[in-house]
Amino acid sequence: MPAIEIDGLSKHFGEVVAVNDLNLTVEEGEIFGFLGPNGAGKSTTIDIILDFIRPTAGSVKVLGYDAQDESLDVRRRTGVLPDAYHVYDRLTGRQHLEFAIELKESDEEPIAMLERVGIADAADRNAGGYSKGMKQRLVMAIALVGDPDLLILDEPSTGLDPNGAKEMRDIILEENERGTTVFFSSHVMEQVEAVCDRVAIINRGQLVAVDSVAGLRSATDSRETIYLQVEQLSDEILSQIEGVAGVEHATIDDGRIRIGIGDRPKFRVLEEIDRIVTIEDFSVVTSSLSDLFIQYTNEEQEVRA
Amino acid sequence: MSTANPPSGPSTKRILAVAKKDFKDAVQSRALWSLVSIFVLLLLATTYAYVELPEMFGPTDQATFGGLLFFTVGITGLFIPLAAIIVCFKSLAGERELGSIKILLSLPVTRSDILFGKLLGRAAVLTTGLAVGLVLGLGFGAVLLGSLDALGLLLFLFATIFFVAVYVSIIVGLSAATGSTTRATTFAVGFFVVFELIWDVVPLGVVYLLNGLSMPTEFPDWVFLIAQLSPSGAYFTSVIALLPDAAADLGVAVSGTGMNVDPVDAEPFYVTPEVGLVALFLWLIVPMLVGYRVFTTADM
Repeated sequence: MPAIEIDGLSKHFGEVVAVNDLNLTVEEGEIFGFLGPNGAGKSTTIDIILDFIRPTAGSVKVLGYDAQDESLDVRRRTGVLPDAYHVYDRLTGRQHLEFAIELKESDEEPIAMLERVGIADAADRNAGGYSKGMKQRLVMAIALVGDPDLLILDEPSTGLDPNGAKEMRDIILEENERGTTVFFSSHVMEQVEAVCDRVAIINRGQLVAVDSVAGLRSATDSRETIYLQVEQLSDEILSQIEGVAGVEHATIDDGRIRIGIGDRPKFRVLEEIDRIVTIEDFSVVTSSLSDLFIQYTNEEQEVRA
Repeated sequence: MSTANPPSGPSTKRILAVAKKDFKDAVQSRALWSLVSIFVLLLLATTYAYVELPEMFGPTDQATFGGLLFFTVGITGLFIPLAAIIVCFKSLAGERELGSIKILLSLPVTRSDILFGKLLGRAAVLTTGLAVGLVLGLGFGAVLLGSLDALGLLLFLFATIFFVAVYVSIIVGLSAATGSTTRATTFAVGFFVVFELIWDVVPLGVVYLLNGLSMPTEFPDWVFLIAQLSPSGAYFTSVIALLPDAAADLGVAVSGTGMNVDPVDAEPFYVTPEVGLVALFLWLIVPMLVGYRVFTTADM
């Protein structure tokens, strides 16, 4: 049984289409990264999974339960780190945990949960005085209450320093080893690359790619990116370069030309370009997920525009 | 996997959990406790004035505990609506605007649990503030009078806590109907202005106009009925219904209009004080239902 099954999901806010016919399956036990630029529809999708908002069309099943009709069952077995949340300023960290433990009908010690996320010493201070990172840790502790089968984390590293982000990754991996499925959204590629089994990229409410990190990378291996420092730069030269066989795309990037090369030896391509304009220097960059992400989102948009 | 269809309605256990958390949070409201201090001072001053100079306030020159309760009603009738607005206007709209509702909704609670938990929690906060004021005010009065009417006190408390529940239901209901605190403020203040400030004036104005721009010597009965329909008018008449003897002592009668009228002069139906209890009951139920309707179907 899949942990999350999204089927033909659409959500309109008036004229705005936030999510457009999205289909996605997250398998039990995997760490699934949900990527997209801000405003792509990530949070809207998560909000529907948790029944914060109701879909315009389509359906979502979580752990076998209907996300709308059986939302209570979904949330009994799910831990959530929502996006754009706010803690209760006048309640302490401990009181937050006590409340979550009571509602989840669980038996953890609040202080043990706070220790796990490294803010036990602030347990009896009002959460309103916590730093952004501490609030993030507090809500993560709430999400871990009741040993959930599924963790839904919306931008989990927001507000954390690199150390905190690493601790967050460790918690994610630890939970996953205990069998918890993790679904998390991010616009930070490094986070996703480091822990995810599979990744979906969403843009403008639509799915643009789903694959393993390795799979996504191999899809880009054949189209390595090369940066060229050339003698002179103009649109005329750029369009000539675009015409060279093997060049899949060429853009001007920070005073250099950025090209993607397809099924043709790089050397041949460079030789040919050198005949158009003298190449002073060049560097080859193996595509990271980051490049792929930019490619899928920015360039897709340009193509469509 | 899913063996039984889970209840998606309210559950007492979850409502209590939400109420408890909400109480801990809202009882720390500084604005509430400032208002309670003013309430206490006002109560002490009027209690002293009434006990020392009863002839200024009623036909008898003997101050009674029942009479004191009516004086207190005059103050709680204003304090409770204002305190309810301060304590409740942000209760749901504020959580939605800030995003704390996302923490709440991420946990296994239904929206009706949240709504009813809020109602209970905020009513408890308001009752706590009120209790502090009443213990001090009425305690002071009982000491000055050297007597205490236990049954009267009990009936007064019943009507007053009922009125607290009513106002909490109204303001939380209005807050549940919107995700913006600006709008929630407009709703709450607008409600207060319409139903508490101008409610009594408008029927009088209509009478004044119908009577050829002068006040009649006898008011038509419907004026009294209308006046009883505002929440605080209903509260006042409910107390009259519950404490008829004390009301007679003080010479007060059904008059949300602020004018003393002998009830025997008017048509029985319109001025039956029990109408107040019915009106209070409707004010308890209707806003709650409206809030429930909007809140359980809205996008958060």
